[in-house]
This record gives sequence, C-alpha cells and structure tokens, in this order.
Amino acid sequence: MRTLGLDDVTFWYPATANPALENITLDVGPGDIVALVGRGGAGASTLLLVAAGLAPRVTGGRLAGTVSRGARAGIVLPTPWTQLSGMAFTVWDEVAFGPANLGWPGHAITRHVDHALERLEIVPLASRDPATLSGGELQRVIIAGILAMDPDLVLLDEPTAELDPEGARAVWRLVRSLAGEGKAVLLATSDVDALPDVADRIVWLEQGSVRAMGEPSLLAEDALCEAGLGTTVADLWRAAALPAPYPLTVVDAVQRWR
Amino acid sequence: MALSRALAFDGVAFSYGNVAALSDVSFEVAAGERVALLGRNGAGKSTIVRLVTGLVHPDAGSVWIGDWDTADLAPEDLARRVGSVFQHADQQLFARTLREDVGFGPRALGFPAREVRRRTDEALDALDLHAHAEQHPYDLSPALRKVGALAGALALEPSLLVLDEPTAGLDRAWRARVADALREHAERGAALLVVTHDLAFAAETLERGIVLDRGRLACDEPLERLLTSAERLKPLGLVPPPIAALSVALDLPGRPVRERDAAHTLARVAGGRSAS
Repeated sequence: MRTLGLDDVTFWYPATANPALENITLDVGPGDIVALVGRGGAGASTLLLVAAGLAPRVTGGRLAGTVSRGARAGIVLPTPWTQLSGMAFTVWDEVAFGPANLGWPGHAITRHVDHALERLEIVPLASRDPATLSGGELQRVIIAGILAMDPDLVLLDEPTAELDPEGARAVWRLVRSLAGEGKAVLLATSDVDALPDVADRIVWLEQGSVRAMGEPSLLAEDALCEAGLGTTVADLWRAAALPAPYPLTVVDAVQRWR
Repeated sequence: MALSRALAFDGVAFSYGNVAALSDVSFEVAAGERVALLGRNGAGKSTIVRLVTGLVHPDAGSVWIGDWDTADLAPEDLARRVGSVFQHADQQLFARTLREDVGFGPRALGFPAREVRRRTDEALDALDLHAHAEQHPYDLSPALRKVGALAGALALEPSLLVLDEPTAGLDRAWRARVADALREHAERGAALLVVTHDLAFAAETLERGIVLDRGRLACDEPLERLLTSAERLKPLGLVPPPIAALSVALDLPGRPVRERDAAHTLARVAGGRSAS
C-alpha cells in the first residue's frame, strides 16, 4: 500500500528546456519517513511541490509520468511567512484556517486546532497576532496549521530552518510520532545530522535525478561525504583519514573509538 | 570610546507594543571581531538586527555604530557603515539580474560606475557567483538567492556586517563558501554580527558567542569554551554541535570545535593509539 507514488516523473518549469526533475520513481507508504537530500537546486523542493500537487497546477510547467496520491496531502513550505493565510488576527484562527476551509463542523475544528497547538508546544501563542511572531514561532504555527487538517501525507520542506536547536529536536520527534500514527512523511532538509535518528529511507537527488536511495547509513558513505551531504561525524572521520565505514553519529563514533 | 569599536549597545530596551523584546542589553563589538548572536526563538536576536540596521530605534538606551548614535539615523544613512542580510533574504532581491542587484547598494550610495563595478565583481568573486551574475534572481534556487543577498551586503564594504540566519537551507558546500567569504571580510577589518541557530557554522566561522535569553544578555564568551559545555548550553536552549560534542565525548586534547582542527587531532590521537 502506498500513500504517494511517483512513477517515472519528469517535470519542467515554465519556459525551461532542462527538466527540474527527471525520471523519478518513488513510493512513500503509511508510517514511512523518507528524506530527500541534495545540493541546493538538486530538485528536492520541486519534488515536494509535485508530490503536493502544486506543480504543475500552481507553478505552471509540464509533467510527464504519473503521480498517485491515495490521501489528503499537507505541505510545509521552506518560507513560512509566505504560507500565512493573511486572514487571521490570532494564531488560533490561523491554525483553524485550513480545517475551516475543509468545511468541518465547529467542534471538529476546535478539537484539531487545540491538538495541533499542543503538539507544536505553542498553546501560549494562541491569542497572539501572527504578524508579531518570530521566524521560529511562525514556522511552528504553519506546521500546526497543516497538522490541524489531519493529512495522511505530510510533506515538509526544510521544516527546521527557522528553529532553534530545541525547537528543531521537537519537530523531529513530532515527525517520528506522526509516522507512528501511520502518516506518510516525505521531507527535504539540509540538516543531515538529524536524519539518522529520524528517517527510514534517504533519497539522494542530484540535478533532478535520484543518484542513490537507501537506509540512513548512506549518509556515511564516501560518495555522499564527497558531495558534502554526509553527516558531520562521517565527514570528520573521513577528513581524519580514519578507515571506512565511517560512523554516522556521535554515538556511533564513541562506540567505534572504544 | 575606543577607536576600534564597530558596534555598541548601551542599556538598550525595546518592546513591540506591550511585548518586551529586549531589556537592558549592553555589549560592544570591535572592528574585525566575529560574533555569533545566539539564543532561543523569540529571545530578541532579530530585534537586535532591526536596531542595528535602523529599522527600529530603542525605547531606552543607545545603539552606536562606531561613533554614530543611531537614534537620529535612518536605515539609508546607516547603510554607509552597516551591511545586512535578513532572515528572509529572498525579499532583498529585486533587480533584473543578480549583477544589478549586487551593485544596487554601492550605486545607491553614489559611488562612480567604475567603483560600483569593482565592488560588484569582488563580491561576486568572494562567493563564487560569477556563473550566475546575468541570471534573474528569481530563476535562482532559494539558496543561491540567499547567497546573492549576502554578495549585495559585501559590495557595500561595510564596517559592520549583520546577518540573520545566513546558512538556513544552505548545503554544506555553500556554508563553507559563506564561511570563507565572511572570514576574509573580517580579516579586512570589518566586524561580523551573525544571528544563527547553526552552531556548527558558528564554530567554523566565528569566535565569540553572545547569548540572549528572553530579551536579556545571558552569556558573552569565546565560542570554543561555550560550545563544549552542554550543561551551560542546555538552559539557554542550545545543543553542542556534533564536532564539539564528539570532542568532549572522545576527550580530544584541546577540545577542538572546528572540523579541520578536530580531524587533525583525531588523526594524531588515532595514530598514537595504533602505535601503542
């Protein structure tokens, strides 16, 4: 069973000759956490837009291949301020904007909004004006707004870019717990050090194509380190000319050192 | 006043309506100093950036850029000394090509065309952006737009460069390039004040850490010492970056926090262990 399926997907932005994505085949099932890694411009953000159904519907452009989505998708964009509704004067109303537009009854909206605020640990912000929030607070509000719609497919583009280390850890714990509830998660992040504890599968994108796919241990392989996509600890081991396989995390390195 | 002072906060307080953002904040940054401004979301870091760039003025106390009191100065006046890149750098680009955008600052400050060209070329060089110079900023990836905004700030050749989360969303290769460009800029005498959650980047690039906690100055000390102390970082909402954590966990001599130093130490210690 799959929540998201991409079969041989190629995508061109408007007025471009070279595709931004080329021959992508990828499945994400319930409970899966799949992480996209790549250099800037490798196509991770575009892949998330395609998965959300926003490309080409909103972005324009052309798509070849098949995208199948078995359930409701929610996407968190890398620029949270562009995702504000602009229609709400409190954080609570902002988070309620999505569920209200799904036409849910009031009691269901209230239940989902309150739960989302609790999960993102932003209950104290509920009555604040979204325009007065810091970048990190706003990022949590946007994630809450997406979760309040109870999507089965959660798409996250750099979900921790605006967050402090504590906030980032909380979001990664939340991602694990969403997967534990059976939601499918596809995410892109430049915080590769977080991935060994978060992701089930890593997809390495290069110039719009899948270069490799595998378990998080991929992030300690020579080729990924060479591309600047290995974990910091793997990269350090390699820079010190210590023998492969390189440790993925600080915990792995300590065990290896003993 | 010391001549080398690039920035000073003297008893600064600031509120957004009835939400207090900063209370009694005082610190100085000297020319050539590389300072990380750290702390939780909402601690007041971005407010400091707004004060330094003249977008807002203190409710109490003073902000000095060298010997200028910012109280009576507008952002365009301060741009002669302060270069800035905001958290959402996409909003800073508006010209038709990246080259035009990078040259906008020096042009607006009234420099002659030849000087504008020199500064633009040097800034594009510093960040290895020449290949993208003739592209429309909105045809660039978000990461490149962000680095492009930094090139625009470098082209001002400011005595103080203020950056808000310059590495968010950048891959490691771009982070390293930004780090090199910033170190070179500081070597020429400019002060850096960098708001960042990316403590690995801070460790590689910067030397001093100022930590804000709920609008107050909680800590001001060398980053090497601060980043290797998990107990001190925790109550401030910070976590040691991987290299600092590994340095402590493996008890590496000198507790290095930069990758090159740590790799060197690790290789040396591993060599010694295999020899014994």
